[in-house]
Amino acid sequence: MATIVEAVNLRKIYMLGKVPVEALRGVNLKVEEGEFLAVLGPSGSGKSTLLNLIGALDKPTEGKILIEGVDVSMLNDNQLADLRRKVGFVFQFFNLIPRFTAKENVELPMAIAGLGSEERRKRAEELLELVGLKHRMNHKPTELSGGEQQRVAIARALANNPSFLLMDEPTGNVDSKNAFEIMRLVKQLNEEKSVTVIMVTHDQRLAAEAKRIVQMLDGVIVDEKVNRK
Amino acid sequence: MRIGDIFSYAFSAIKLRKLRAGLTTLGVVIGIAAIVALLSITQGLQAAIAFQLQKGFATDTLIVSAGGGLGVGADSGFSLLVNDTQTINDIENVTASLAIIQRVGYLKCGGQTRRVTIVGVDFAAYKEIYSSTFLAEKGEIPSNPENDTVVVGKRVSDPWNNGTLFCNVGDAVEIVWTNTTARPLTNKTYEGSVAAVLQEVGGFSIGGPSDASIYIPTMQAQSFFGTEKCEMIIVKLKSDDKATIDSTAKTIREAFSNQVAVTSSTAVLNIISSVFSTIELFLAGIAAISLLVAGIGIMNIMIVSLMERTREIGILKALGMKNQQVLLIFLSEAAIIGLLGAAIGVGTGWGLAQAVVRIFSIGGGAGNIRQGSQAALANGITITPVLTPTVLLGAVAFGLAVSVIFGLYPAWRASKLKPVDALRYE
Ligand SMILES: Nc1ncnc2c1ncn2[C@@H]1O[C@H](COP(=O)(O)OP(=O)(O)OP(=O)(O)O)[C@@H](O)[C@H]1O
Ligand SMILES: [Mg+2]
Repeated sequence: MATIVEAVNLRKIYMLGKVPVEALRGVNLKVEEGEFLAVLGPSGSGKSTLLNLIGALDKPTEGKILIEGVDVSMLNDNQLADLRRKVGFVFQFFNLIPRFTAKENVELPMAIAGLGSEERRKRAEELLELVGLKHRMNHKPTELSGGEQQRVAIARALANNPSFLLMDEPTGNVDSKNAFEIMRLVKQLNEEKSVTVIMVTHDQRLAAEAKRIVQMLDGVIVDEKVNRK
Repeated sequence: MRIGDIFSYAFSAIKLRKLRAGLTTLGVVIGIAAIVALLSITQGLQAAIAFQLQKGFATDTLIVSAGGGLGVGADSGFSLLVNDTQTINDIENVTASLAIIQRVGYLKCGGQTRRVTIVGVDFAAYKEIYSSTFLAEKGEIPSNPENDTVVVGKRVSDPWNNGTLFCNVGDAVEIVWTNTTARPLTNKTYEGSVAAVLQEVGGFSIGGPSDASIYIPTMQAQSFFGTEKCEMIIVKLKSDDKATIDSTAKTIREAFSNQVAVTSSTAVLNIISSVFSTIELFLAGIAAISLLVAGIGIMNIMIVSLMERTREIGILKALGMKNQQVLLIFLSEAAIIGLLGAAIGVGTGWGLAQAVVRIFSIGGGAGNIRQGSQAALANGITITPVLTPTVLLGAVAFGLAVSVIFGLYPAWRASKLKPVDALRYE
């Protein structure tokens, strides 16, 4: 199996005014193709920071991050943008563009990648069908429930056939019933479509759905276990 | 991202804040409308005046007057005499010359009185020099006039321009003139009969026929006004090329030891048109400032919109949008507002110009004839606003350029946002 993401001794220091905040203090991590990895940890442990680095949204202070073997720190803004097209992001809040319908939101990454409207429309409908929302595709985010919005966000994240899905507390904003609904969908994508998933959560029960769990604390990975069930 | 998609994305963002975008567009509309209205009116006015001048002036004529140009400040004691035409006729390139005696007085007809400019001219020579304007509409202008022959301008005959005539061909009239240099003041009266009514001349001219004047033969004018002097001498040249005009003007000035001013119609036309160009530039400049204000408005709303949409920009970047694409989206928003504003502005400005011209032409007409000692100015000119393709395209391009330039800074800031920071922005 090919390694998709590799973090080598990652450090990230934020400057809060003159005070340095060490968000990551030497993280080493490898994610293989087809994995479903959960990153578990208390608030402030550096989970989002790690995810942003993996998604090329930010650059590490020290260390290396390789995505499909490419060192992210060597890339310029344009190359980073290209790289992000291979990453499917799902965030906790404000995921969708409110003035666009579900379908238009799913089409957006494809429009950014330069696809034609016909192609986009077809794929958006397929993806919305996959997440079970084809019947709501012409609704705007405000007309959808939190769980439905996250499913649209997942459909959007899949639009450009990403190498992997990055989810930062995708169920943080929805009730537990919807949370499990979303987890089922993610698991299904991972198992049936072999989509690589890296998911951040602080919910033990959700993390239990993943194949592998890494535990973070104070900017380092303190534990790692493989789920065998 | 395809250009069409960039535009529709920009458009969707504008649509989201309709009122705000509308008000910003209004700023551009006002700026462009002001530019278009001012330019099309001044250009229309310029065209109308140039047309009237070309009609009223003969381009192959020179006007000789005493002292400093067109009789203004004729203070040296030097006066031009009627028979100075003989001196001028001997000069090379001169085909004819004609003395004009001019006074302001009153015309009585059928118990009514009107203020008029009384002009004494040689009818035959005047007809020859102003062959397109010294023309009878009614009656006939005699080349060898009787002692009592009077030719009246169109506005003298038909002052209200509605067919209610003040005097007509065949009417007996009295010309009353007050000799203000005699003590005590004396009123002199001249009995005449209207031989012809001129065709409408329109506008104004220097030396040439005017709608508000009446014409009597030179000899009669000389004895009536008791003078040998004349106000100006109109000189007709063999050709209207610049060299002839300049050299003849010089010769004439020298013949009178530089105590006369020689004005060429062409020079007057050039001066007037250059004055108009300056006015035009000045007005357009003022209007352009209003457009700059609109540009600042665009910059302002774009910065507000940039802050409101920071997270959105973060999402777009996370989805793989490049900096240039973000820049283009924001510039497109400015361009759409600028283009829309410019398009509406051109229409509005054009409508405004039409309205202004209409309002002013109601007050115009024969009522406000101003009679100078030399030039009769009538404001019966009809102005048609002129919208040249240059002004049209220039206004649209300017509106667009101002919008895009002022949109540049916010767009650049948007494009430079770091994705993580943008996503964290509350
Ligand atoms: N942009 C930033 N500037 C300054 N400090 C930051 C910044 N981003 C994160 N931090 C700090 O870095 C540390 C790790 O933050 P991070 O967001 O990665 O935590 P997290 O594990 O995702 O927490 P949560 O579960 O609450 O989302 C925290 O102490 C946070 O305050
Ligand atoms: Mg977090």
